[in-house]
Formats: sequence, structure tokens, C-alpha cells
Amino acid sequence: MEQFVFWCIAIFIVLSAFFAMIMKNIFHCALLLAAALFGVAGIFVYLGAEFLALVQVLIYVGAITILIIFGIMLTHKMMDSKIIVMNKQVVMSAVITGVLGTLIILTIYSTAHWILPALKNSESGYLTHSITTASVTKNKKVVTDVYTLGPALINPKKGFAFAFELVSILLLSVLIGATVIARKDQEG
Amino acid sequence: MIPVQDFLYLAGLIFSIGVFGVLSRRNAISVLMGIELMLNAVNINLLAFAKFWGWTTLNGPVFVVFIITIAAGEAAVALAIFISIYRKFKDINVDEIKYLNH
Repeated sequence: MEQFVFWCIAIFIVLSAFFAMIMKNIFHCALLLAAALFGVAGIFVYLGAEFLALVQVLIYVGAITILIIFGIMLTHKMMDSKIIVMNKQVVMSAVITGVLGTLIILTIYSTAHWILPALKNSESGYLTHSITTASVTKNKKVVTDVYTLGPALINPKKGFAFAFELVSILLLSVLIGATVIARKDQEG
Repeated sequence: MIPVQDFLYLAGLIFSIGVFGVLSRRNAISVLMGIELMLNAVNINLLAFAKFWGWTTLNGPVFVVFIITIAAGEAAVALAIFISIYRKFKDINVDEIKYLNH
């Protein structure tokens, strides 16, 4: 049952992502992309990261898709159905992508023999020491909820406090930069 | 219990589809969508390996948080650039825009 639902979500993601990349109407593409990202949130639940699934729904499905739809509405001639969506190198890029995907899948398939024995030991914590130990918890099923993820983000000793502050500065500069770039009067 | 390589197969497929979109689409917003798909594939991979190592560290989820944040910022700046380019060229096809300065 678990396998079945997982593969249903996987097929749903792959199909909607694929059609989001090949459909003519870009508005439909954006909606299919939202569906694919929603499916990825479901995969996050399967991986035991419920908080990140919620963040995925909030930020990707909620914010980025709305942002993309606004971008489409501001830049695109919407009901123009005769436009060519693919560029001249579509055959070449399909070949390259096919080779890349085949290589990735063959690599995973050929290295799966060392994954399966290690997975039996991973219940007891396979890596006991990590280089950057962000709140290492042993012998306990860790769920990545806010209570473990929050201290890992802002703990200055063992966590990622510096990167967290850097990302906040980045977000501030993105806010200012996007406003400046998209502004109408360009005399400044 | 789903084995970890199933998540990796799925992430590889999503990544390939994103690469295909980035390489083959003409519209810049579609290229941005391909990049978002690739970032999502990376997120699945990070969480799959974090689960694979038995959640001994929280490095994987923390990196996923950072990637989601940076993807949001990237989308905002990219769409601002697209709107600015559209005002100047009346088009955002990546084939035809060769210069960023008028």
C-alpha cells in the first residue's frame, strides 16, 4: 500500500512536470508546475519531513507559483496559441536529456547494492560523528519538525547561524533589488 | 518501507525533465520553471540521504530550508528582470535577447 501510493505520487509528479515542460499554453504550464511541486510535498511527507512539506506547499505552491503567474500575466500575450514554444535545439536537448537521465538511473541502479545493506544499520544511526553536528540526536527517531529544525538553524555553536543570517541579508537584498529592477522609471 | 534508491530514481527523473525544460524552451519563464524543478529534485535527494543516514544530523533538512529560501529569492529577482526586459524588448524569448544593455 505504501509502495503503491508512493509510485502513484511519483507518476503524478513526473507526468505533470513533463507536461509543464512541453505544453504550449504557458499558463497551463504554471498550473502543472504547481501540481508537480505539490506532489513533491507529498514525497517530503514520505521522507519524514512534515514541516518541510508544509514549507514546500507554502513557499513553492503558494508563493512561487503565484509569482510566476503574475510574471506570465505581466509579460505574456496570453491567448496567443500559435506561438512556438520550443527553440531550434529541441531535438538535441531531448537527446542530451535522455542520455543524462539514463546515466543517472543506471548509476543509481548499479550502486544500489551498497545502499541496501547500509540501510539496515541506519536505524541505530549510521554516522555517529558528523563534521558539522547540528543537534545530533542518537538512538532516537528524529522527526524534522520545528522543535529540532529551529535550534539547528539558529544555534551559534553547533548550528547554521551564520548561514541563516547570510540568507536573511540575501532576502533583504532580493527585496530591494527586485523593486529597483522592476521599477518603471529608470532614471535613477 | 520505501528503499532510498526509489527516491533517487524519482529525483533523477525530475532533474532530467527540468534540464530538458531549461535547454529547450524559448520563453524565459519556462526556463525558470525548469530551474525550480531541478532545485526540487535536489531537495528530494538531500532529504532522501538524510533519511538514509538515519537522521543523525540535520544538515540535509537545513540545506533544504536554505535551498527553498534561495529559490524564492531567485524567482523574485528573475521575474523582476523579465518584466524589465519585457518593457524594453516587448518579448522575453531567450533566443532573441542577446544583450542585457539595450
